[in-house]
Amino acid sequence: MTAVHLDNVSKSFGGVQVIKGISLSIQKGEFVSLLGPSGCGKTTLLRMIAGLEEANGGSIHIGGKDSTRLPPERRDIAMVFQSYALLPHLNVLENVMFPLRMRRLGNRAEQRERAEAALKLVQLSHLAQRRPRQLSGGQQQRVAVARAVVSSPQVLLLDEPLSNLDAKLRETMQEELIQLHRQTGLTTVFVTHDQEEALSLSDRVILLNAGRIEQEGTPAELYAAPRTRFAASFMGSTNLLEVALEPTAGGTIARLPGGQSLRLDGAAGQGNATVMFRQEDARLTPAPTAEVAATVVTRVFLGSRTRYVLDFGGHMIRCLPPADQLFAVGERVALDIPPDRIRVLSE
Amino acid sequence: MVEAVPSPIRAAAGLYLAAILLFVLGPLIVVCGVSFTAGDYVTFPPQGLSLRWYEAILSSSSYTGAALISLKLAVAVMVGATIIGASAAIVLHRGRLPATSAISALFLAPLVLPTIIFALGLLTFWSATIGQTSLWALWVGHTVVAVPYVIRTTLAVLSTSDKYLEEAARTMGAGPWRAIRHVVVPQAMPGIAAGAFFAFNISFDEAILSLFLRSPEITTLPIQIYTQLEFSPDPSIAAVSTLMIALTILLIFVIDRVLGIQTVAG
Repeated sequence: MTAVHLDNVSKSFGGVQVIKGISLSIQKGEFVSLLGPSGCGKTTLLRMIAGLEEANGGSIHIGGKDSTRLPPERRDIAMVFQSYALLPHLNVLENVMFPLRMRRLGNRAEQRERAEAALKLVQLSHLAQRRPRQLSGGQQQRVAVARAVVSSPQVLLLDEPLSNLDAKLRETMQEELIQLHRQTGLTTVFVTHDQEEALSLSDRVILLNAGRIEQEGTPAELYAAPRTRFAASFMGSTNLLEVALEPTAGGTIARLPGGQSLRLDGAAGQGNATVMFRQEDARLTPAPTAEVAATVVTRVFLGSRTRYVLDFGGHMIRCLPPADQLFAVGERVALDIPPDRIRVLSE
Repeated sequence: MVEAVPSPIRAAAGLYLAAILLFVLGPLIVVCGVSFTAGDYVTFPPQGLSLRWYEAILSSSSYTGAALISLKLAVAVMVGATIIGASAAIVLHRGRLPATSAISALFLAPLVLPTIIFALGLLTFWSATIGQTSLWALWVGHTVVAVPYVIRTTLAVLSTSDKYLEEAARTMGAGPWRAIRHVVVPQAMPGIAAGAFFAFNISFDEAILSLFLRSPEITTLPIQIYTQLEFSPDPSIAAVSTLMIALTILLIFVIDRVLGIQTVAG
């Protein structure tokens, strides 16, 4: 069942089109991330689902109901803001009760009970009587989440809720969000510019670029098989090479300007193209005379692994080989990339 | 490492502080002192100590009558200016009107416009359109002068609040009016209360408008003091002034207790 459906939605601000006809469906209970660089339109899209921005074109259905022209208070949604937007004149419990009060859900005692249950869900029952300003950033964040889930909305909207937290706390909150989603089963739309966050939290990632959907899929799909140059570079840890493709009997050869070449599986195309491979997919072996060889330029020790920057026929590439492989700076190594791990990108 | 403040600057600062104490507190101390005199004249230091001038003003119907008028007027101005000023500030803060800056300039104009010119204009306008001046004329005049203060204090508080609160309230099911009532107004409350305090005070000791628009029935306390000073200056005016100072201090104390003095000063 579809919880949120956008059909050819567009939005302009002062003549500049920031959302260029986006259509997407979000299934009930799904956790979807809207991922993209700043200015890609991800926050605008979220605010349009919330009703805080009105669509210039297209339609928005929430829970099967046409909500395109409905004001936010008449949409069955809840939103967690980047700044948390807790009401400073109310205590924590009153903040969590607020949506129930405004939506007139149940009597006072029932509202209190539901708010207490929501606070328990985020493990803040003991702070119910505190004011928001007496709480730490992480605690405020949890109050905001409790306040958003308390009314069991059709869709929970999260606008970069973790960006104001420090790295360690962010990791903890990510885990808690996953758990919360499992417990509540709420349809969730999560906006972020952090691809790791999107990959680790979502069932599905929608990558946005300049007001359009660049690519969508499961985190594994997006990570392993980015279709475009933008998707490949945004998903990170990728080597991009400009090559000339030559079909041969056993597959395809990708020639680099420096004379080096790589083997690809199947008929991958012909002519100039961009290919990518992930830094962890390259295997290095000590082989000074190998045909496909590179020279170690820099070595960065990362704890569990070591990252190498290699000079590969004039191209700088990054490799993250298995931990047992150690090479010295200046050493010549053979570069072995499984042919099925090299992908040809469309521009 | 911060270098020590050069001694000439330190001396200047000390002098400045002394001058402030002298010219701000000095007059208040003199008025206070004179009010407790046992003599018949306004002299400092007071001759003997007595409460006779307090007795005199409290039993004088012209003083108590003027005080009642001033209090009624000040409360009415406080209510009017607070409602108008706070609403204006909330609308201006959202900045969605086409000419926000022009409207804001218009609302704040009474701050820079000389009161005497405004008073003359209001008197002429009132006489031409309505006729005899009344307490209503004074209420209008005082409210116009007090509204900018309410706008300023309310805007100051709103500009430091989370601008997403109103939107958050909308996503939580509050319509536009309920968002204002349950979220924006509580946010702005310290500023609104501070503005109300200013409005009361401005009306309570305003003299220029009251002088221009006065009639025998609407003599406010400052006008009564002024008249008394003009025709028979005696220590009763010092006693009234001391009570007015006491009222202001009391109000400041209450405001501080309820909101914290920083909000008002800010």
